[in-house]
Amino acid sequence: MRLTPRTAAGTFGLACALLATGLIVGCKKAEARKPGEWLVGYSSRDQSAEYTARLGDAVQARAKERGVKLVFVDAQADAQKQISQTENFISQKVDVIILNPCEVEASSPAIDRARAAKIPVVNVNSLTKAAPDCYVGSDDEQAGILAMEAIAKQLKGQGNVLMIHGIMGQSAQIHRDAGARKVLAKYPGLKLLDHQTASWDRAKALALTENWLQAHKGKFQAIFAHNDEMAMGALLALERAGLKKDVYVIGVDAIAQALDAVKAGRLDATVFQDAAGQGRGAIDTAILMAAKQPYEKEVMIPFQVVTRENVDQFLQK
Amino acid sequence: MTALTPPTLDRNLLHRLGIVAVLFVIAGLLSVLTDSFATASNLTNVARQISINGILAVGVTFVLLTGGVDLSLGSVVALSGVVCALFAHPGDHPLFVPIGMGLLTGVLCGLLNGVLVTRGGIAPFIVTLGMMTVARGLALIISGGKPVADMSPALTNLSGDLGPLPIPLLCFALVAGLSWLFLGRFRLGRHLYAVGGNELAARAAGVSVPQVKLFAYGLCGLLTGLAGVVLAARITTGQPNAGQAYELDAIAAVVIGGTSLSGGVGSVLGTVLGVLLIGVINNGLDLLSVSSYYQAVIKGVIIVGAVWLDRRQARS
Repeated sequence: MRLTPRTAAGTFGLACALLATGLIVGCKKAEARKPGEWLVGYSSRDQSAEYTARLGDAVQARAKERGVKLVFVDAQADAQKQISQTENFISQKVDVIILNPCEVEASSPAIDRARAAKIPVVNVNSLTKAAPDCYVGSDDEQAGILAMEAIAKQLKGQGNVLMIHGIMGQSAQIHRDAGARKVLAKYPGLKLLDHQTASWDRAKALALTENWLQAHKGKFQAIFAHNDEMAMGALLALERAGLKKDVYVIGVDAIAQALDAVKAGRLDATVFQDAAGQGRGAIDTAILMAAKQPYEKEVMIPFQVVTRENVDQFLQK
Repeated sequence: MTALTPPTLDRNLLHRLGIVAVLFVIAGLLSVLTDSFATASNLTNVARQISINGILAVGVTFVLLTGGVDLSLGSVVALSGVVCALFAHPGDHPLFVPIGMGLLTGVLCGLLNGVLVTRGGIAPFIVTLGMMTVARGLALIISGGKPVADMSPALTNLSGDLGPLPIPLLCFALVAGLSWLFLGRFRLGRHLYAVGGNELAARAAGVSVPQVKLFAYGLCGLLTGLAGVVLAARITTGQPNAGQAYELDAIAAVVIGGTSLSGGVGSVLGTVLGVLLIGVINNGLDLLSVSSYYQAVIKGVIIVGAVWLDRRQARS
């Protein structure tokens, strides 16, 4: 019962037709640019990750608000793809490129190419080795400092802490770790009992915390997870063991589920990273650049600690 | 009719002894090096953690026995979990609906793999590689890229305990037990070995090769769907990004357990031992607080070492 050439060709044709429909539905036809309208290219690191997807939405919303024409593409966490997308932006003759870089080193050539073509570049959310014309983002070290300070305050500077890393070697992991360690160095009574990666993944953080509960049961009073997904995993493990009341848990990002958990009194705190603020800052700077007006070289959007007391103002965002 | 008899049991038994020895050595070391490894609560813990990989590994054993492969496991786990979570909001549907939808998603993906392999005549590696990206994409599309939360406690409680035993472990045990019976006692089970061992001989002996293969992929899909439901219950959400690289751990467990990648040789018992070995390593390295850089290296060395020891023993 093999496919005959005819049915095979038919199936292939059908697949092509489907693909074409998808392309037509998926991307709107490039309209002619109105005079005075700026054209901006945006390459997102990864639209399948919750935070960068939220950032992408914020950029699109702000571009619409300010009447900027946006070419929006997704690099799917592939630096190579991001470089090609930048080359496409250059041949499309965009006024400004906004890059949400995939990697510190590997995305740098994208910046070099844009600069060689004399198109200004804004980096949003993460850094690259090659310097862009402007960086809009938040200082990840500050997230680590805020989280560990919240723990130090809760434990009054005395106790054992566990830390769950993101993927080792990524910019956010390195800087959140560095910030946390700066605070630990300030409090001699605060000890890092153990630390391990769970690769930003909830299921992995859940298993890791279960294992920690075996190895260090009753010996730790707080967990700092580098993102909320992992904080939620740690929280589930503690709740199932009936030990949540003894352990303070804090994450980073303020994703919807974490905010709900803070509101419900399950999760102690999270650190809010302002996607809307970063998106707004990136588009606003791009407009200044396109109009050849003066702009800030660095726009820092601050992190904020979210606890049960102030969670309501973040739930509306 | 020689093609229809499974490989001799003695050979499988020898295969297993090597793994059992490695398992004992590692468990012994961990009991000495840590106070917490050999406790009832930690062993329950290991049991809970291996269940998902266990269910996947048993499923993919069927496919590997026919000489195929399934690389779409991790993505289909994510897709089934998301579909299950979508139907699991409190008060929406009775419990069997989200579970059924999760399983159905898995079966459909598996059957589609099977149809493309048997009727389309495309290599299993390519078909399931395609399914891997399609299923991941579908999981992202229907969830909008965000975790599907707000699952009813009735479903998330399925990751809890029944008496002293974790429910995911009971699922894994049931799956492994039934599969063991099926491969040993049922004609279709023996046909799986025959197809993987020598496809032409099996066809000559009157076995319907495409049907047997389709069955293997479908069953693997069903078990992948089950793993997706169990994972969603465990992490209380349907995560479109969950299950990355799960297929590699599952296939590693099956191969450690003595199943041949070229088909025809292998057993469910071996797979269960392979799953246990990987689970004990993962748990033990965390208990010993081994740095994550070293964990990756140690895991790889133990996996290859175990297979090498096992094969050496089987030859002697």
